Amino acid sequence: MLPLLADLEPKSFWNGFNGSLPLKVFLIGALVLGAVVLLAILRVPARLRRPVVAIFTFVSGFYYVLLWLWPTPIARDPKDAAVGLKENVSFFLADAQPVVANFSNILSGFLLGLGVFSLLRIHGRKVMKRQTDWGFSFVLLASMFAMILFGYWDFWIRQSPTGARLPFAPGDGWGPAQYGKDLLFDGFLQQMDATMFSLIAFFILSAAYRAFRARSLEATVLLLAALIVVLSLTGLIVQGWDSGVGALAGNNPDSFLMNFRLTDISKWLRDTVQTPSIRGLDFGIGIGLLAMSLRLWLSLERLEGDA
Amino acid sequence: MSKPTKEFNLGNLLQAFPRRGLFLLLFLAATLPLFTTVTLPNKPWDDSIDFYKNLVALQPGDKVLIGSDWTLGTRAESGGEFEALIRILIRRQVKFALYSTGDVQAPLVARDAIATIAKDEAANGQKLYKPFEDYVICGFFPNSEGETLAINNNVRGAFSGRKDYPENGPPQDVLQSPVFQGIRKISDFKYLVLVTPSNTERITFQRVKDTKLMFMVTGVMFVEDHNYYASGQLKGLIGGVKGVFDLETIMSKGYESIPPLPGKNEPGRGTKYYPALHACLGLLLLAVIAGNVGMWLSRKGVKS
Repeated sequence: MLPLLADLEPKSFWNGFNGSLPLKVFLIGALVLGAVVLLAILRVPARLRRPVVAIFTFVSGFYYVLLWLWPTPIARDPKDAAVGLKENVSFFLADAQPVVANFSNILSGFLLGLGVFSLLRIHGRKVMKRQTDWGFSFVLLASMFAMILFGYWDFWIRQSPTGARLPFAPGDGWGPAQYGKDLLFDGFLQQMDATMFSLIAFFILSAAYRAFRARSLEATVLLLAALIVVLSLTGLIVQGWDSGVGALAGNNPDSFLMNFRLTDISKWLRDTVQTPSIRGLDFGIGIGLLAMSLRLWLSLERLEGDA
Repeated sequence: MSKPTKEFNLGNLLQAFPRRGLFLLLFLAATLPLFTTVTLPNKPWDDSIDFYKNLVALQPGDKVLIGSDWTLGTRAESGGEFEALIRILIRRQVKFALYSTGDVQAPLVARDAIATIAKDEAANGQKLYKPFEDYVICGFFPNSEGETLAINNNVRGAFSGRKDYPENGPPQDVLQSPVFQGIRKISDFKYLVLVTPSNTERITFQRVKDTKLMFMVTGVMFVEDHNYYASGQLKGLIGGVKGVFDLETIMSKGYESIPPLPGKNEPGRGTKYYPALHACLGLLLLAVIAGNVGMWLSRKGVKS
């Protein structure tokens, strides 16, 4: 069974019924209520859909807002009983945390299902109707089904006591399910993943060569700073430069010249220029995110198609 | 009307190097150094030194939580970081629990990597790290924000119901693993070490407050995360191939007053890939310089 209700101490509203009749009643009741709510949502007129979505969004967000703002229990013992409204609410919120996290994980799982459905619909139609480039769609669907087939086959075998003894690396007892999954996952998927990622380097080099030009004062400063940072990543040049500066300064650590070691220049750039600039940017982004989140939570954000 | 022809001079030539030629040079710069066995000089960064110092200060029996979100797409950086991390933990006999919120493939990739390193370390005389007993894999959680907050607030609840495979046995609840013995809250883990090439590092910063954090990120992310190291929020930071090379340098040779890590230290990915990084960065510098010199020569030509 899915670990929706965590079997943990302390027993609370969220985890107190495991293996008991109240739990079964609770689950059946929740299923019936869920089905009723789903049917009701499907029958909601189009003009009322936005308020329904807004209510769900607000309630979901409100839990996390409350969790953030309400005092959190500190050094709580499993045997502690809540006293008063403040403690009752804080214990309730804290106990609900893993359950709410599970809900959100399951909802994210639904999104994955929605993605698979969407892929099947679009590419299935393309293959059936022999539209342009239908071959690529066929490869995509075949790959997806092969991965699902071998993945679940291997998973199913590993659930039995004998299957659980199978090693994860190629070895004794491996059959077609394990070899098939290994070939698809490690042999194809992971290697293609690495290939795609490494292609970025080629575009970075090409773009840097064509676009990184000292056309203005600002661009020149940026270019010089970038060159110093890049040079500081190369141990060989750092070693040569720093030794040269050290020799010029007579290896006197108090010499003014020692500030011009590549290590020191790049450290100064990083700590005095780069870090504060990023901090400033982050503050700006944070404030923007807060404003955006508030608009989304309170459903003030107008989406495309809204009246 | 005929098109005006571009005058052929050195300036134009330097600015019009064919793209395919550049790609070929980059391919050679990235691959040829891999066949060399040169170990380049290195001066580890403070971020890397602190990371190493904190890890080796752990005592046998201590526990660490690892967030592993990398896959083979960033194996040159994250793979090397992860290997160095696991080797240090094995040699210090630190138990660890691992989870992922960034990529569904990550737990599988980590499982394979740990098994390989454990076997390798055992062959070199270290204790053979066994799944479930010495480390446990708690799996993938698709909702990074909610799960990370749950891990911070109620670590047992967050991992409750998850199963992992003991050696030669059917899957069991991860909370039954010796790794979770004595773990009531996240602060019972000495550190949360996150190995990530994605934005889960932001999510972890924002949500994990009750234990000490150390990150292993890509070279691109290092610049931004250095911010948090500088402010003291991160106790150590490893960034990209340079960070891996820093770790491996300290592990094998020590640095200033820090002794090397006891055990057999063979060159890892950082040591192997650093010359390739050198060559690629050198090529990048040459390309940028050539483009700028070309532009300067062209402008000078027009003026004259």
